[in-house]
Amino acid sequence: MPQPGPPGQKTSLLVLEGMGFRVGQALGERLPREMLAFREELDVLKFLCKDLWGAVFQKQMDSLRTNHQGTYVLQDSSFPLLVRMGSGLQYLEEAPKFLAFTCGLLRGTLSTLGIKSLVTASVAALPACKFQVVIQRS
Amino acid sequence: MTVHNLYLFDRNGVCLHYSEWHRKKQAGISQEEEFKLMYGMLFSIRSFVSKMSPLDMKDGFVAFQTSRYKLHYYETPTGIKVVMNTDLGVGPIRDVLHHIYSALYVELVVKNPLCPLGQTVQSELFRSRLDSYIRSLPFFSARAG
Repeated sequence: MPQPGPPGQKTSLLVLEGMGFRVGQALGERLPREMLAFREELDVLKFLCKDLWGAVFQKQMDSLRTNHQGTYVLQDSSFPLLVRMGSGLQYLEEAPKFLAFTCGLLRGTLSTLGIKSLVTASVAALPACKFQVVIQRS
Repeated sequence: MTVHNLYLFDRNGVCLHYSEWHRKKQAGISQEEEFKLMYGMLFSIRSFVSKMSPLDMKDGFVAFQTSRYKLHYYETPTGIKVVMNTDLGVGPIRDVLHHIYSALYVELVVKNPLCPLGQTVQSELFRSRLDSYIRSLPFFSARAG
């Protein structure tokens, strides 16, 4: 089991992200309904915001922004895993732990749909959070 | 009509939460002693009420009143106790106390992984939602009646 303390915490977060990745991979396989739904990269991101979020959290992502150069910012103003925790700055420090799995989830779903990415999350004030997806092109 | 204050205890007598809205007189003892006194009294009354009941018990101890205030009591099977002091005009409020337990305590404290159970509740969200809920009650008025 990972040890407590900063190095242990990093390992724990990696483990959580890994679990999310595996779940995302599977969801990426079984969720998409239509073959032609993903004509371009932006369609895949929209799928994450609508269908993946809908299936896992029973709601949609609140906003999707992009610089059209492979970086996307997904914003959820009322993230279900944080909604019961706080409304504001209490628990801000611990909030990222609860986002690690979800980052993996996004990365895993993208992976099944043929997109390699790096996903990070940040919280400025509960329960709102942002997920940053950076497409990795080789 | 108004709500004076509210106590929330767990099955071990730990006071999980205390809020007051209109309290004109203090007990004259430390807060820790006050919580112990309240919990001890409730424990005794519950047991007294069930022993001395001339009929089969239904809900057990529900409320007591004095000439100035009324104390309402609600207990869950898990031993969580919600105690609210209101003025005399307030009727049975079991549904209100149950709401405090199920929609506030369970939703915002039990389901919050960062809230350790069995200790005073630190969650700001719980405190502020509880405060809003009490203030929204039809028998709460901003000025003590």
